[in-house]
Amino acid sequence: MIAWRVELVRIGTVAPGVLRRLAAELAPCLAREVFVAGATIDPAPAFDPLRRQYRVDDLLLALLDPPPPPGVKRVGVTNLDIFLPVFTHVLGLAQHGGPVAVVSLHRLRPDEPEHPDPSGVLRRRLLREVLHELGHTLGLVHCNVPWCAMRASRVAEEVDLKDAAFCRSCAGEVGLAADCPCAGRDPGDREPPRVEKEHEG
Amino acid sequence: MKRRAPHVLIVDDERHVRESLSNWFVEDGYEVSTAGSAKEALQVLATRDVDVVVTDIRMPGMDGLELQHRIREVKPEVAVILITAYASVSTAVQALKEGAWDYLVKPFDPEDLSRVVAKACEKLRLEEENAALKERIAASVPEFVAGESPAMRRVLDLVEAVAPTDATVLIRGESGTGKELIARLIHAKSPRAFGPLVAVNCGALPEGVLESELFGHEKGAFTGAAGRRKGKLELADGGTLFLDEIGEISPKVQVELLRALEEHKITRVGGTQEVPVDFRVVCATNRDLEEAVRAGTFREDLYYRINVFRIDLPPLRERREDILPIAEHFVERYARAMGRKVSGFSQAAREVLLSHDWPGNVRELANAIERALVVCREGEIRPEHLPIVRRTASGAGEDAADLSLRTVERRHIRKVLEICEWNVTRAAKELGIDRVTLYNKMKKYGIERPGQAGN
Repeated sequence: MIAWRVELVRIGTVAPGVLRRLAAELAPCLAREVFVAGATIDPAPAFDPLRRQYRVDDLLLALLDPPPPPGVKRVGVTNLDIFLPVFTHVLGLAQHGGPVAVVSLHRLRPDEPEHPDPSGVLRRRLLREVLHELGHTLGLVHCNVPWCAMRASRVAEEVDLKDAAFCRSCAGEVGLAADCPCAGRDPGDREPPRVEKEHEG
Repeated sequence: MKRRAPHVLIVDDERHVRESLSNWFVEDGYEVSTAGSAKEALQVLATRDVDVVVTDIRMPGMDGLELQHRIREVKPEVAVILITAYASVSTAVQALKEGAWDYLVKPFDPEDLSRVVAKACEKLRLEEENAALKERIAASVPEFVAGESPAMRRVLDLVEAVAPTDATVLIRGESGTGKELIARLIHAKSPRAFGPLVAVNCGALPEGVLESELFGHEKGAFTGAAGRRKGKLELADGGTLFLDEIGEISPKVQVELLRALEEHKITRVGGTQEVPVDFRVVCATNRDLEEAVRAGTFREDLYYRINVFRIDLPPLRERREDILPIAEHFVERYARAMGRKVSGFSQAAREVLLSHDWPGNVRELANAIERALVVCREGEIRPEHLPIVRRTASGAGEDAADLSLRTVERRHIRKVLEICEWNVTRAAKELGIDRVTLYNKMKKYGIERPGQAGN
């Protein structure tokens, strides 16, 4: 098993509880240590006044300063609308095979914002997107299995179609043991996703 | 076999654009190259197997449009996607007219980029698949064992000449000469090769059934016609219709067939609506159609309609030099299929093959060899392995009943050679011919000194 752990970093004004809850869900899912960094990254230098959005590649550079210690995957979480030049927006971005990634909650929010996310939709989307970007930092590319966390999601609703798990092929590729909670079903399995379907109030 | 990931080449003079797009495509599982200018892009294209080029239009030096033109000249199969600012959309549209795959206006939704590139890759995949299928079809041209005789070379020349046209072909030949194989060969080498080849044995069906088989029928057209059914003429739409034993069809069906061939329209049995059909017709018969026309059993107008281009298949007995090569071909084929270690024919077996008249032609020869391979498990095929031996060896030895000049000559030459202890010079002198002529005749009849067969 590859020894790596996850560091969650706030970028801008993200409520500390969001990262604490995310860490609490991510750790058992990955069966790895997940901790929240004390420091917060200032996103101001990544702001593009013309587009009134934040350049995600600049945020990745900020996460690399200083570089994470060996074996640490550093994931920045932000409320800001992020973009890459030429793209209107992105939901997140990772340094492919590298140590850093960014996920934005901005476009993951449901159309009718509920505060503070009583149905848990946003929380579930965040968990899946963080798993997705972590997969990229581990070298995974997009996967065609509909419920795999590595399936590309262009819009928030597509994130809801995925499990909080990698398909067996993706999990195997990054050395996640088959009994790891995030190592999911075989791509050929047709059973319904085992993802929690609660829409609790 | 796992397909390689499609290769995307990103061309933009702005580094951060290249990096953004590169990162995106890598995450999507593409193989990615980047170039900071059109010139650099052409260098990459010259050395790498690129599937899709995503290029900015405005670049210093050669712009994206010029790059697209160059790519079309050297690698027209590569899909070019242009990235443009809103102001140059009209330029991008012009580029589309000149063959670009698509364009995106900056900034664009990542979903749009993924969709456009995925579609381009799908198009390339389908084109590759199409090319592979074409190759497979070309490779699946029916095997026609022709032999090397001048008569058969002439037949194959005729096939080559007529196949690319849409002309109606009439193939004449005895049973077993390979008329259907010739029809399939014509179809396979024609522009209709991707369409169906629909074969109908006109002699095997009674009039009513043949009519319904050819033209189809509507629901309730006759007892048992529970639903509408397309006929063979409709099924051959876009392809070739092969009418075997055309000389056997009844006068009524002849009239309907003539109309269908002339008007390229049919009416299903029990129907009133005309259905347009587009097929090429290849007919075959072993009957003397001219005689049938004279006797009034075959319509003259239909005869001239189908006899546009005629191919006569000679019977095997009229091209005896083909017998041994064809027989050897079948030995090889059946030995491989049955896993037999059979090396060929004994001298005596060769003589049996050469002396037989093969009334069933190549089909009979193929069946004889297949049977011989069943009986002979290894070594050489000998006369007793061949079904024809039993038929002809009922008298005093092989071919005793065969009094044709060829057989008698072959037998006599062999006898003289044996008397002369296979001294060819002496045998030629005895026969009153020169040595070269004797060698030619020995070759023609497959006569070899015992123990030298196969050398």
